[in-house]
Amino acid sequence: MATSVGSKFLDLDNGPDSTLLHRELNWLIQDSLGEGEPATLSCAASASSSGSTSSKKVVKLRTCLDDLYRLWKERIEDRRPFQYLVGCEHWRDLVLSVEEGVLIPRPETELIVDFVEDVLAENYGDGLKEGLWADLGTGSGALAIAIGRILGCNGRVIATDLSPVAVAVTEYNVKRYCLQDKVKVKQGSWFEPLEESEVELGGIVSNPPYIPSDNIAGLQAEVSKHEPILALDGGANGMKDLLHLCNGAASMLRPGGFFAFETNGEQQSQFLAGYMESELGGRLVDIKIESDLAGIPRFVKGFKAR
Amino acid sequence: MADRGSLLRRILRSINQQLPRPTVAEFRWRTRPSVIRPRPASCISSLFLHWRQYSTELQHHMSPELMKLMEQRLSAIENRSDHLHQIVNQPEASPEEYSRANKELRKLRDVAELITDLRAKQKEINDLKSVIADCQDDKDMKEMASEELDQAMAEEKRLQYLLLKHLLPKDDADERDCILEVRAGTGGEEASLFAMEIFKMYEKYSQRSGWKFEVIDVAQSDLKGYKEASASISGVGVYGKLKFESGIHRVQRVPVTEKSGRLHTSAVSVAILPQADQVDVQLRNEDLKIDTYRSGGSGGQHANTTDSAVRITHIPTGITVTIQDERSQHKNKSKALKVLCARLYEMERSRLHSIRSQFRSEQIGSGDRSERIRTYNFPQGRVTDHRVGITSHSIDDMLEGESLDTFIDALLLQQEMDAISSFVSSE
Ligand SMILES: C[S@@+](CC[C@H](N)C(=O)[O-])C[C@H]1O[C@@H](n2cnc3c(N)ncnc32)[C@H](O)[C@@H]1O
Repeated sequence: MATSVGSKFLDLDNGPDSTLLHRELNWLIQDSLGEGEPATLSCAASASSSGSTSSKKVVKLRTCLDDLYRLWKERIEDRRPFQYLVGCEHWRDLVLSVEEGVLIPRPETELIVDFVEDVLAENYGDGLKEGLWADLGTGSGALAIAIGRILGCNGRVIATDLSPVAVAVTEYNVKRYCLQDKVKVKQGSWFEPLEESEVELGGIVSNPPYIPSDNIAGLQAEVSKHEPILALDGGANGMKDLLHLCNGAASMLRPGGFFAFETNGEQQSQFLAGYMESELGGRLVDIKIESDLAGIPRFVKGFKAR
Repeated sequence: MADRGSLLRRILRSINQQLPRPTVAEFRWRTRPSVIRPRPASCISSLFLHWRQYSTELQHHMSPELMKLMEQRLSAIENRSDHLHQIVNQPEASPEEYSRANKELRKLRDVAELITDLRAKQKEINDLKSVIADCQDDKDMKEMASEELDQAMAEEKRLQYLLLKHLLPKDDADERDCILEVRAGTGGEEASLFAMEIFKMYEKYSQRSGWKFEVIDVAQSDLKGYKEASASISGVGVYGKLKFESGIHRVQRVPVTEKSGRLHTSAVSVAILPQADQVDVQLRNEDLKIDTYRSGGSGGQHANTTDSAVRITHIPTGITVTIQDERSQHKNKSKALKVLCARLYEMERSRLHSIRSQFRSEQIGSGDRSERIRTYNFPQGRVTDHRVGITSHSIDDMLEGESLDTFIDALLLQQEMDAISSFVSSE
């Protein structure tokens, strides 16, 4: 089934090709193996065996084969994302629970945590490590949890999201990493759920919806058919939420506080950086555009002036 | 070389003259050749048998020559450390002098302590000897003193051995973890299948040794062999034990793919790299280009992909490492970095090594990946290590990671022997 796809999805909408699908199938089987089974099944993806010591051994599955088959059929025929099939996504060193209704965290977004790590290392004396951070539009809680794990013992994170599903999933993930004392999850729009005592933020990170409304229909089927539109649609030019967050950062960050936002790419990054420099009265400084690992200028980061 | 050989033989002879009757352990070693048949004509193998005793019998019998040499070194160290102590205790020493002397003292500390212990033991031995001489009439007393003397002498031997170990040149990397890289060479599919077997041999050997074996990346061939595979192995003394595995491993057998039943020879290269971190190799972020070599697309929220492959290019050397086996980009990246550091570290080591070996010829090539080191001959069920000329006749156990120690022990022994001989010849 995976083989027959060839490069059809790839040509159609930049979807997965059969090599990728084979790997996913392997992972699907790995994930369905009972505890204590070895995590390698060298010939899962292919019927041919090398004839050496491998495979012909009975393994315990947590799901029955029919279910697996049904799941896999959804993957190929409905283009249901692999991560929804297995209910999780490996992101940085985390395994996050995900389900329909919450965005599957992207590899690009991992870099935001690297930026925060760098800042914490450099600004050690500034107390950001022990400060209050916000992850706005937290989705599965990826950024909030990763940052919660690198803050000092007094550091805290507030994670907000408008979507009740996202809030529930984040709460679950926070619990799985035993971070209930560190990461608070609140439902509401962007900064709204923050209480008055929580306005002096040491850091703000966000990966808000940034895709221009017109582009949504043309997205890869896995995304457009299955992921929540609330997580993707950034209004006419995709900048609606980014601009709101940027204004918020200028007022909610404490002096010396750090921010990092993900954008749609070069155009948005440049626009946003320009806006920060010219329209915010110098309240945000050290503004830099950073590229993702595919070389696309993806992030805008900087500090609140002191 | 000839010189060194004869010197070694002389030392060995003097050791042999002092050897007591074989103990059980030695006896077992001597009868082991049912598994290991030393090449009859090889003088190296026959030397081994002696050195094996030498090594396992707690070095009870160092040759007088070796003892003399060691004594010279020890008193040189004692003088040096006295001299340094003087500097440190001199009020008029400049701060630089002081700190330099202090630093050197710290380096000498372990050896100096051992020497102090040894001297105390030797004094005790002398005292006990005179006690024994003085109390010829008091039988009980004499017996007690001789008993103590025996103990003290055993302790003296132990200290001497420890000191010898200290004085021999060592490889600082021995205690490190390592990266294993296996690559199929000439021989197509058959080489890939064998590469997989070799890779698994090290996996099993690591498990037996209580080490952690983590697969880094595997590039499979059409028949599910391994074109290339890498793993990181961590635990106690990993690199020191595995370093001699680097080189070309040759296999001779009738491949499963071969219909006519013809015997093939193919080759697999193995590299064992000591694990290093970014500090060891002074890696600067500016020297790295990290990218996903994925084709096109706008990425970010546009794309849902499980492809998180990462490629790291080290710009100054042009080395690239790509890792795609992990499920997150972050993990692929950190694995790739790990491999890159190990490669850079190894490059630096072999650079230093080649400078050093202009002055001193070294016996076992560790790290030279182009050297043919071992042949696995399936029809005859044997594995031969060409460097020590030892053949094991249990090829299956070998691939199960069971009898690899046969070779590793022999190679370690040869290393020790080389170290002692260069210790002797450097005088
Ligand atoms: C692109 S997703 C990012 C999710 C997560 N931070 C990540 O990087 O994987 C955007 C998130 O913003 C949330 N969101 C959309 N509008 C929002 C609003 N007005 N207030 C708070 N969150 C909102 C969506 O529910 C979604 O979870």
